[in-house]
Amino acid sequence: MNTNLKISNVTKIYPGCVANDNVSLEFNSGKIYALLGENGAGKSTLVKILSGVIIPDEGEIYLNKNNLKLNSPLDAKKNDIGMVFQHFNLFETLSVFENLIIDSDEQRESLREKIDSIMKKYNFSIDLDIPVLNLSAGQKQKVEIIRCLIRNPKVLIMDEPTSVLTEQETSELFLSLKKFSEEGILIIYITHKLKEVMQLCDEVAVMRRGKLVSVSEIKNENIESLANKMVGQNLKTIKKKKAKTSSDQLIKITNLNFTSEDPFETNLMDINFSVNRGECLGIAGISGNGQSELFQVLSGEIISDKNCIEFNNNYIGDLNPQERREYLMAFSPEDRLEQAAIPQMKIFENVALNNFKSSNFFNNGLINENKIKEHSKKIISDFNVNTDNIELKSQFLSGGNLQKLIIGRELITSPDLLICFNPTWGLDVGAINYIHETLIKINEQNKSIILISTDTDELLKLSDKISVIHKGKLSKIMNAEEVTSEKLGILMGGAN
Amino acid sequence: MIKIVKRDQPSRAIFFFTPVLAIFLTLVAGGLIFFILGFKPFEALKFFFIVPIADKYGFSELLLKATPLCLIAIGLSFCFKSNNWNIGAEGQLTFGAIVSGGVALLFYEQEGFYILPIVILAGAIGGMLYASIPAILKTYFNTNEILVSLMLVYVSKLILDYLVVGPWSNPEGFNFPETRQFSDSAKLPLLFEGLRIHAGIFLALAAVVISWFVFYKTYLGFQMKVSGFSLKTAKYAGYKGKKMIILVFLISGACAGLAGVGEITGPIGQLHREISPDYGFTAIIVAFLGRLHPVGIIFASLVVAITYLGAETAQIFMQIPKYTGQVFQGMILFFLLASDYLLFFKFKFIGSKK
Repeated sequence: MNTNLKISNVTKIYPGCVANDNVSLEFNSGKIYALLGENGAGKSTLVKILSGVIIPDEGEIYLNKNNLKLNSPLDAKKNDIGMVFQHFNLFETLSVFENLIIDSDEQRESLREKIDSIMKKYNFSIDLDIPVLNLSAGQKQKVEIIRCLIRNPKVLIMDEPTSVLTEQETSELFLSLKKFSEEGILIIYITHKLKEVMQLCDEVAVMRRGKLVSVSEIKNENIESLANKMVGQNLKTIKKKKAKTSSDQLIKITNLNFTSEDPFETNLMDINFSVNRGECLGIAGISGNGQSELFQVLSGEIISDKNCIEFNNNYIGDLNPQERREYLMAFSPEDRLEQAAIPQMKIFENVALNNFKSSNFFNNGLINENKIKEHSKKIISDFNVNTDNIELKSQFLSGGNLQKLIIGRELITSPDLLICFNPTWGLDVGAINYIHETLIKINEQNKSIILISTDTDELLKLSDKISVIHKGKLSKIMNAEEVTSEKLGILMGGAN
Repeated sequence: MIKIVKRDQPSRAIFFFTPVLAIFLTLVAGGLIFFILGFKPFEALKFFFIVPIADKYGFSELLLKATPLCLIAIGLSFCFKSNNWNIGAEGQLTFGAIVSGGVALLFYEQEGFYILPIVILAGAIGGMLYASIPAILKTYFNTNEILVSLMLVYVSKLILDYLVVGPWSNPEGFNFPETRQFSDSAKLPLLFEGLRIHAGIFLALAAVVISWFVFYKTYLGFQMKVSGFSLKTAKYAGYKGKKMIILVFLISGACAGLAGVGEITGPIGQLHREISPDYGFTAIIVAFLGRLHPVGIIFASLVVAITYLGAETAQIFMQIPKYTGQVFQGMILFFLLASDYLLFFKFKFIGSKK
């Protein structure tokens, strides 16, 4: 039986932004559709409307010509629309089966039979009776998919499903999705990754700033044409010149271990590496493998043994972040809104968070507001932050501008080493390009970078050396030219 | 048709308007309650809010009640602004009073200019010691400061009870549950002949000025502000988050302790069973009604102080229980929280569609 899903003139307005502007789209089963767009283009809003999480201001949704009123996620489920979100909605401490039975109306035995037959059919192998926290990200995703399949969905929506997967898990996922499609399930695949669209999908709809820009068949498109549609301008490609090989060692980590009391954190085991001046060391890995802990150990949020970290011939393992800054280190954490900046505070107050003795932000314990403001204005103009009002609360900056402010704040003191963690996460292409250019510039000035990132393309573009972190252990350090994304993928999955 | 719309950002004007609205709604609801009880609403409200402060004596009483409220609320504002929920100011007040009262009793037959400062200091230290218990348990053992600080209130009241009935009770006091009178050197001087308002008000005013300065002008205040918004950010900036938590508790304990000193070394001049009509709890309402801002807290403490006085006048002239005062305090908090809805939402009047 054919499934036809039609979105007709959907509009959703948030204060200060039109998330969906009169969007109309039609999908038919048998094909895999890509919904492509940058962060903030409106694709998440659109799928949330389809799954009943958000109610549109205007517009209708039709499934097989029936007008659907989706007022809650339950309505979507009842109408055979299944959705797998980017972030898993699973109870970590419950078993797989317990997670599946929670929102099912079936009896235990019949449900178990059903799950077994689904797993057999699609070649999934998951132990139903172990707690979810023991599963890999790929397996957790399969649990979410099974949860949808139990209800025999007509439509399956996948929101950025590969952001937590390895290359291998990704190709497994694609195989399953193709199989679902052959069986008549309508698949809508949301992503901003162009390569995946080309690999997987039959048709692609591109969104930009809340509007539907184009609908076309994949065979008429290529990566460049899609990228230009997505961004709306012709992108220049950034290439890093190969760094002069320097043997001047800047930072050296020796036998660093960290054992956490928190069961949801990762222990770091026997970390050893060094970075020379002018070099960028990339650390790849799937999120949750110890990146956050490694960042905190390097920044001084977690204090380690004094001798574990040697920076510029000083042993600094026992210093806190502020003290490390005095040795010319700078840090840009992953979480812009909860750690690197305080959204409710003004721009200039956020600048004062990077307090350097020589910057004289605070004299004799008093706030020197003029000095901070002067400094903030310089950052805003030097780093292209798109505002001229330093009294603005930083929550009103876009992600890209906030990240520019943070990087600017960290770099204006011209540190010898910048440690950054997912610096372009969730940013639009323009801002990503700007940040990448800035990072390359730092290396050209003979300063060093440690780049912890889950974005393999970014790492391959910017790093001179690359290592992979898996379950708190670092792989051996490789020269970036010898590395391919496939090789990284294998290491990220834990194989040698 | 009226539609409720989310605001793009909380409105600053509304931020200061909602406390006024809350007070207005409290008056309306209070009038209604009096009406149901069979009183004339306007007359009753007049007895409650105007008669008590109509003369010089009444005004002095108002300041007398507002002083501890203001002092405690200023201290609490440090805690609340940094997301530390110290609700045990009543206990810190009591313990501060116990320590300073104990010191005052040591000097009971002596005179000297040095006694009063020592007594005041002892009260502040007592309050700090008592506040340090929930602070240290919170930072090093992850206990919940709300529970710990609240439960310690009852502990301190029982300690006070034991002391005034037992070891510290006045040997010539015919077994009344009270201590000896402190010597005049251990008492805060009264400001005017015949009125009860005493020098404690200067402690409160000093606290207002100092807290404003610390919070808005110093590096320490900046660190507290950051730690309050996000401990993760504080850690990343290199601030000592745990020390910051202990510090705000100590400040608020010291303020509550000083309020306790004012209660026992003012007009009363001795320790007895009931030194505070729940000032420590009421000050929580004052702190929020004053928007945790030093100047706002001054006004809020005056408004809430009236409910204490009004309850007494109402009891005398209208024969209704003085607990009506607590009803009014509860209503203020209730309407304040309710009208805070306007901070984030607004009403939009729209004509019928098309």
